[in-house]
Amino acid sequence: MIVKLQKIEVQSRKDMEMIDITDQIERVVAESGLKNGVVLVMTTHTSSGLLVTEGIECLERDVLAHLERLAPKDPPEGTYHYWHNRYLDYDGRLGFNAGDHLKSILGGVNCFFPVENGTLVRGSRQRAYFVEYDGPLARTVFIQVLGE
Amino acid sequence: MSNLAIDFHTHPLLVREMIARHPELADAARKTFYIGNNFQPLETFHLELDAAGLDKAVVVAVDATTALGKSVYTNDQIAELCAMSDRLIGFASVDPHQPDAASKLDVAIKQLKLRGLKLDPAMQQFRPADRAAYPVYEKAQELGIPVLFHAGMSWAAGSRLEYGQPLLFEPVAVDFPKLNIVLAHLAWPWVTEAVALALKYPNVHLDTSALYFDNPRDFLRYAMTHVVPLSVFECSLRRQILFGSNYPRVEIKNMANAVRALGFSADFLKLIFGGNAVRLLGGVA
Repeated sequence: MIVKLQKIEVQSRKDMEMIDITDQIERVVAESGLKNGVVLVMTTHTSSGLLVTEGIECLERDVLAHLERLAPKDPPEGTYHYWHNRYLDYDGRLGFNAGDHLKSILGGVNCFFPVENGTLVRGSRQRAYFVEYDGPLARTVFIQVLGE
Repeated sequence: MSNLAIDFHTHPLLVREMIARHPELADAARKTFYIGNNFQPLETFHLELDAAGLDKAVVVAVDATTALGKSVYTNDQIAELCAMSDRLIGFASVDPHQPDAASKLDVAIKQLKLRGLKLDPAMQQFRPADRAAYPVYEKAQELGIPVLFHAGMSWAAGSRLEYGQPLLFEPVAVDFPKLNIVLAHLAWPWVTEAVALALKYPNVHLDTSALYFDNPRDFLRYAMTHVVPLSVFECSLRRQILFGSNYPRVEIKNMANAVRALGFSADFLKLIFGGNAVRLLGGVA
């Protein structure tokens, strides 16, 4: 039985950004010696996400734009407000990024792939993305392999 | 006019490289500023500036030796940080309670090549017009450097609101007419008093690093259009408003976007984001 947990750091460079981490996941699987099992991936940050979609730039932009429409950083003026917009004493700052937390919830914070014969099982167009909703920041992603 | 865009007010509390060299800085971030964000590589600071469309940032020390028994960054540490990045402009701090504060400032400017002075009366627990601080002001005026004062409310542990009231700074503005003073945070909740001070004294400036509720967009609109009409800043204080974010209490990008959304003219925005800061820094940033 193989159970290994690997931490990687992803440096986002923009406020919102999709960063393809498929190759890093495959590398962790290859280095683990796993032949058959699963690989689980999660972000540890509540204003970021993990999702799987087709790996093309136009779709990346559509994903981010749609999530921004669903959960805008600042609500349209005169409509509603976020309860999160208040001073958070444990954080030393105001929590005015509710929209980014909501995007994280909508898009999800983890993904998984089966592993067969040491290879990720995924659709030919599927790529795994770390998704930044409130960058730029150095972010932590955990990758765990389970199997034999 | 310089095209440089500058954030005049940041605290380098999260820089991982400096935490690794000086572990006590982690304590300063967590226990003095209560900042809970993850420590970040210096690269993130640069990327924050990029995301905000800015070139450089002022990074400040706070010497609270008498009040809190510590400094949040020493002058040496600020100089060390600035040596790592040509995008950072270091401001010294001295403890006005200490009799050698003026000579320490002299060293920080002449030997460490820092560019300004940061004082935080609320955290350092002194009245701005306390005569004990006057030798520091005299030295700053002699050196031709700006003084960035914390003004208004402070979230920091042990800080006192009463020392942040703008009118407490009036004697300093009067007695040191050639000393450029910047009152941070629009001195909220005393924005009107701070604006009055700036209207009366051309050596008094205000920075925009104010966020105490809502979000940057809504807070700055409240403070800079409702509390005081936008036209007052645009028409009467053109050369006295500087962009400051107070990062990392607020991301630089958010404050920059909020200031740009207020409705100021393009040429005034250039002054806010760079021209006024460059002038206070002696024409070179």
